[in-house]
Amino acid sequence: MSARDILLQIAQVAAVVFLAPLIQGIILQFEERVERGRGPGIFQPYRDLWKLFHKQIVVPQTASWLFWVTPVIAFTCMLTVPLLIPVLTSFPLPLSDMGDILGGGLILTLGSFMIILAGLDTASANGGIGSSRAAMLSILAEPTLILVFVGITLLAKAMLPFVVNHLLVASWAVYWSPAHLFLVAAFFILLLVETDRMPIHSSTHIEVYMIEEGRILEYCGPLLALLKWASAMKQFILYTIFCNVLVLPWGLSIAGGALGALGAAAGLIVKFTLVAGVVVFVETAQSRLRFYRYQEPLAASFLLAVLAITGTQLS
Amino acid sequence: MLIERLSPLASSLFSLLAIISLLLSFVMLGSRWLKNYLYAFAAESWAIAALSAAVGFYGSYPELYLIAILTLLFRGLLLPYLIWRIIQRLSVDREIHEILQPASALVVGALSVMFALAVSYRVGTALHLELTVAVLALTVMLSIKLIGFLMLAVRHEAISQILGLLVLENGIFLGSQILVPGMPLLIELVILFDLLIVVACFGVLVGYLMTHIGSTSALRLNRLVG
Repeated sequence: MSARDILLQIAQVAAVVFLAPLIQGIILQFEERVERGRGPGIFQPYRDLWKLFHKQIVVPQTASWLFWVTPVIAFTCMLTVPLLIPVLTSFPLPLSDMGDILGGGLILTLGSFMIILAGLDTASANGGIGSSRAAMLSILAEPTLILVFVGITLLAKAMLPFVVNHLLVASWAVYWSPAHLFLVAAFFILLLVETDRMPIHSSTHIEVYMIEEGRILEYCGPLLALLKWASAMKQFILYTIFCNVLVLPWGLSIAGGALGALGAAAGLIVKFTLVAGVVVFVETAQSRLRFYRYQEPLAASFLLAVLAITGTQLS
Repeated sequence: MLIERLSPLASSLFSLLAIISLLLSFVMLGSRWLKNYLYAFAAESWAIAALSAAVGFYGSYPELYLIAILTLLFRGLLLPYLIWRIIQRLSVDREIHEILQPASALVVGALSVMFALAVSYRVGTALHLELTVAVLALTVMLSIKLIGFLMLAVRHEAISQILGLLVLENGIFLGSQILVPGMPLLIELVILFDLLIVVACFGVLVGYLMTHIGSTSALRLNRLVG
């Protein structure tokens, strides 16, 4: 374990913490542009966070201790996952073998689980609706996520994201194999579900059909800022897994120098902008469906994951 | 046999086309609108025509080019056009008589793919077809057939039933193109004209159903009339 590796590990977490609002801003700006608005600019999430951190905390009378710990736990979970996945470097760092893909998935889900509990905790109607909808979606998305992980494991014969990354960089045959393409498609649908960008979610957030926003409606001030930041980081982490492990495994720092890490961070922005373009296209081109159509894309994603596993058995 | 002397590029091309056809049959299984259903069927026929042409090219069977063109014209254009005309005449846009939701149908379809994989492994070992592309072709053929049966079982609109039958036939045709290419041209022609007659008969039947029952749902046909 060298000092350089430790610094790189800190840099990975820092990259996630400080670039996550930027990606959120880029996506929101794209959406506004597609809808022919001017948009607030790509740095608006940073300004929002700054503003929220300078506000006072008001807590509902019905809230228990869960209400206080949830933002902290959610934020901490999102700080933990970047240790396990290839964000900047394509080689494992000192703490990267702490958990495999399933471990990362567990920690990501723990954050959403706590937010669901907090939504129920204040006993407000919106929190209940948001929590029940989010729980329904994650109940259906979780088996598919596990199947995608099983598919990745069967493809690479390993549970570590770094191995998958190396395998895809090394061999075009694996990259274009049907199993991998199915995995990409299945994970893309999951990415839309988990980052709140399915056609069943509404693009303007505070309204009757809200899902993720409903759970955190009772929060304000710094606690809300932590939750918003955590959700932006979750989106960043899922994009990282999608790009660096599945779709665009190139452009990571191989030697681990400072210049390489900076270049990898710049590369991340470019890759994420590409993915965000596709996501925004799907979200705006598809007309909004009613909430009870939620099972169809998830069933399609499940199907694709099953086909991917079938494909890994064939090759 | 052809598949035992395929180049890697050819076998990956075959696998790609077979998998595109499989995906398109899932699109049919998951769609609610008869139009999408029809478009997916036409696209699947085009993929199969491309597969025929590719098999003809790599296996040097010149008559397969003719079969590819006939497939494209008949299955890809003429049959969808005829069915489209029936849909226009009936003014039914979407499948209203489904027993199983499209989402559940997709999950059942996924299970049938796994079943098909298990069966084709057994068949492959019994017939000494150890190659990946052979097992893949068997799997795709069996799963398209199972999906066709599923469509026949879970949908009641007469149009979906025609399409289910045609998908079933597409599955068999796809498998035969990869596994036993070079069938006599005459048999292919006979099959194509059979399909044409099937669709024409269904058109007549649907018109009859409309005048006598007032609906094209197979659920209403539960009474024997002597």
